[in-house]
Amino acid sequence: MNFEKVLSNATPLLLEGLKITCLISVVSIAIGIVIGLVMCLFGMSRFKALRGISAAYIWLIRGTPMLVQALVVYFGIPQMINLFWPGFTLSSITAGIITLSLNAGAYLAEIFRGGISAVPKGQVEAARSLGLPYSKTFFKIILPQAVKIAIPSMVNQFIITVKDTSILSVIGLPELANKAKVYAGSSYLYFGTYTLLAVYYLVIISILMLIAKYVEKKFNYERKS
Amino acid sequence: MKEKVKVRNLHKSFGSLDVLKGIDIDISEGEVVCVIGPSGGGKSTFLRCLNRLEDATKGEIIVDDIPITDKKTDINKIRERIGMVFQSFNLFSHLTVRKNVMLAPVELKKMSKEKASARADELLARVGLADKAESYPHQLSGGQQQRVAIARALAMDPDIMLFDEPTSALDPEMVGEVLLVMKELAKAGMTMIVVTHEMGFAKDVADRVLFIADGVICEEGTPEELFGSPRQERTKDFLNSVLT
Repeated sequence: MNFEKVLSNATPLLLEGLKITCLISVVSIAIGIVIGLVMCLFGMSRFKALRGISAAYIWLIRGTPMLVQALVVYFGIPQMINLFWPGFTLSSITAGIITLSLNAGAYLAEIFRGGISAVPKGQVEAARSLGLPYSKTFFKIILPQAVKIAIPSMVNQFIITVKDTSILSVIGLPELANKAKVYAGSSYLYFGTYTLLAVYYLVIISILMLIAKYVEKKFNYERKS
Repeated sequence: MKEKVKVRNLHKSFGSLDVLKGIDIDISEGEVVCVIGPSGGGKSTFLRCLNRLEDATKGEIIVDDIPITDKKTDINKIRERIGMVFQSFNLFSHLTVRKNVMLAPVELKKMSKEKASARADELLARVGLADKAESYPHQLSGGQQQRVAIARALAMDPDIMLFDEPTSALDPEMVGEVLLVMKELAKAGMTMIVVTHEMGFAKDVADRVLFIADGVICEEGTPEELFGSPRQERTKDFLNSVLT
């Protein structure tokens, strides 16, 4: 099956792709967390307009495939912007990060909301009865407990986000899957290349899961003695 | 004696359900008031209105001449001076016992961590839990958790303490240790309002007992009066059912 040939020839190419995949994943997850937190807060706001923004955003993202979102962000929106700002272009990396963070943000918003509503009401009442204003109650009492509750679902979302980077090959983003496709197409070594590609993803996700396990342990104050 | 808390015509409704239908009472500084009565009669709601965990529908509550029912009053400032202890303890489960006690003074009084920590240890010693400072709430028994909750409330140096059925969620053998801490607090001159089913505690410690049923103060008096010679039929029925 020419595994050796694939290993030696495809590796430099795949490593290049791996760098992009990791970069896009890390940046998008970080931005996604911020978007998710803001949208989650919007969703629980007293103001109807903010709740509306959050609901519309989550509805839009959850209601469309990421592939379509990527096409809209990379091809659709720049064309529209060009009407007012001729010559405007978006690099595939920027478009990829925008798509992936918007996507992760919507799901994370829902995960955070679930975590926050799972914190017992008595915790809030105890904090408020001490005189803590709502903001302090939120950041000191609710959020730490909500994050702990949400960690398993968050990790799940991170894994999905890392894997979803491969969808971004449709907008020509030179990430891991794209590089593999290019190599397989030119060498005709489909089995070897794509198997190796799968191994790459397995390794990244496994490392992510190990980190997650460590973090989860750190947060697990209920088992600490 | 100086009036600490004044409640005037307090009403509270949840939707169409009228829980409090006009409560009037004055509570003096240093007084220990026990509130008894049947479930659903409005005892806890009354207590929760006093630090505005529930907003009154109508009426006025005045603490130290400050109308706390007024929307313009900074309720957080008032709450710093009104400690509250809950039936279900509500200790912050992600923080150690010491950090539970330290949190409010550090966040609200800008006390240094060292000072707050020393103060926490002092309060924990006072409730007999000096050795549990590093534990997490779930590692403690119910009685211990409730004593930490009392220490946490005391950390803000409140001059009023509200207790919402503090022993109702406890195993019988742990009720005593919590009541003991409360008794000492009463002896030290704290103004206390205690919703309780512990008639023995009310008899021993209360200066005054309120019997709240159907959203009104049905009867009030010294423990001797209320337990010894209740005047209202409603009170007699209730006392008969709990004391036998």
